[in-house]
Amino acid sequence: MSESKTSNGLFFTWLGLLGVAILIGLFAAFKLLTEGHHLFNANDVLIWSLPLGVYIYLALISSGLTLLASIPLVFGQKKYEPYAKRLIFLAIAALLSGFISIGLELGNIFHMVYIIISPNLSSPIWWMGAIYSLELIVLVLKFQRIHAGDLNSSTSKVLGKIGFLCALIAPLMIGSVFGLTESRVTYFGPVMSIYCLFMAILSGSALCLFYNLIHAQVTGNGISKDKESLFKELTRIFTGSLGAVILLTLIKFFIEGSTVIPEFLNYHKYAQAFGSIAGINIEVIFGLFLPFILISIPGLRYNQSTRVLTSALVLIGTFAMHMEILLAGQSRPVGPKAEQFPDVISYFPSIWEWIVFMLSIAVMLLLFTLGERFLKLGSDPA
Amino acid sequence: MPRYAMVIDLQRCTGCSACSISCRNENNVPDGIYWANKITETSGVFPNVRYHYIPTLCNHCENAPCVRGCPTRAMHKLENGITMHNPKKCIGCKYCEFNCPYGVIYFNWTQPHKPWKNNNKVLDGTTSPKEEVKKVGGKTIPYYNPEREDTLPGIRQKGVVEKCTFCDHRVRRGKLPRCVDACPADARIFGDMNDPDSKVRQLLGKFRPFRLREQIGTEPHVFYIKNFNPANYQPSKGGI
Repeated sequence: MSESKTSNGLFFTWLGLLGVAILIGLFAAFKLLTEGHHLFNANDVLIWSLPLGVYIYLALISSGLTLLASIPLVFGQKKYEPYAKRLIFLAIAALLSGFISIGLELGNIFHMVYIIISPNLSSPIWWMGAIYSLELIVLVLKFQRIHAGDLNSSTSKVLGKIGFLCALIAPLMIGSVFGLTESRVTYFGPVMSIYCLFMAILSGSALCLFYNLIHAQVTGNGISKDKESLFKELTRIFTGSLGAVILLTLIKFFIEGSTVIPEFLNYHKYAQAFGSIAGINIEVIFGLFLPFILISIPGLRYNQSTRVLTSALVLIGTFAMHMEILLAGQSRPVGPKAEQFPDVISYFPSIWEWIVFMLSIAVMLLLFTLGERFLKLGSDPA
Repeated sequence: MPRYAMVIDLQRCTGCSACSISCRNENNVPDGIYWANKITETSGVFPNVRYHYIPTLCNHCENAPCVRGCPTRAMHKLENGITMHNPKKCIGCKYCEFNCPYGVIYFNWTQPHKPWKNNNKVLDGTTSPKEEVKKVGGKTIPYYNPEREDTLPGIRQKGVVEKCTFCDHRVRRGKLPRCVDACPADARIFGDMNDPDSKVRQLLGKFRPFRLREQIGTEPHVFYIKNFNPANYQPSKGGI
């Protein structure tokens, strides 16, 4: 971190650790490129695995952070401005790390040029890729403007608006990648898109709270009184989005529990990979219900420890929920694939998938660290 | 322009798998990948049981979800209705495989035909798989079919998907798909849906065909007619 209280020794040890993780990740990337994706514990039934879950998670976090940054940058709420620069930078770092994860999930990354020269406008994957790529470019340009102290020029404002629109549409596109899949009824429908949008706001606000509170703690700066009122508003956004995701999760839960459509019955049967209590998924209890209860108690709501704990629970819980949804919809073979595969596919990530996960997180943390050290993320750009 | 389709007569089909084996030979299909496959099902409780066998392949859907979802148009429709894949454009995102309602698209998770590249002798005095391939002048596999190269790489690379192409390379030379040719029971009938005199059109008019998962609106172009059932029963009105 950039503050003087952070010793250089700790800083370089931290950089060294991240460097080692990234080197191991690069080795895994080389192995994947040369040997193929049989290194993953995926197969022709369970097609997408941990690296794709990591991408969805980080991309949605990035969108959530961008939407939060839009409060001052697009909607002119000046009191949020001191955090805009950091939010934009975190969004860039999360999205870049997500791209690393999905890049290593792709079978042939060298053919990516055809996304540009042979686009398919009816493909939700194409739109997802295009909008997130545009978002990344716009965020980098916007960050460059903010870094130069320009928040109010017409260029800077236009960049902010485009970034906001991208961050609003991109989660809908991630949802539609699943929601337009007729073959898998449990994913099908517009709810997936709405769900992804709310998950983006929730995970983005959770990271925003968690990161800023930890940053204040590590640098020893604490939270000043004027910033505290801002944190109260952020906590309200966090609580509201948490409530919205709980509502959508309950609707989904009741539909799955009451329908007799065979695909849903099967889905429900295998949609509790992380375990359950009283029929409710563990990650929903500890990642949504518990934080919501804690943050709703007036005496605890604005307590820093509660905020750190609840945002950490939500960050872990939302990741588990993405993985749960991703895997449960692919757990049973489609059509003739039942001849070659078991009725239900069990899955645990291979060491190579864990390394891809580690690489993405290490790159994100490295960018966070370098950003704080060299780009004055905490400075008021106004 | 023709619109190709296939009719599979389930009464004639004996489940011998000649279609599947000939397909592997024709298209140099690697282990673990099935362009021509089957759905088997056992229904009932002993002694009243029955075994069902449905041969499967790419349905070359009119509204193909794989084509709609492919971000690079690697999966595309030919004018004759065949759903074709161009591995040179494939980024290996596997969305077509994820999106296919029929489970007929496979991904090359590793280098295809890897066992044939093995240079270790099985026993002293014998040859290695690699030497065997070399001896017969094969390319990667001893039974390599160079004709497949007409429209696709003879062997697809790792990291891309592959599936049945209705043997488009044979069709363009005026030949029937290999599985149709190889079927000893003439259970597969291939032809032009747009030609009112074609055998395919005649059979679809004569019998009530069904298609897999018709309700999702993909308009498959593989039709199934009839059903083999030797079972019989004494006339009865049942009872209470």
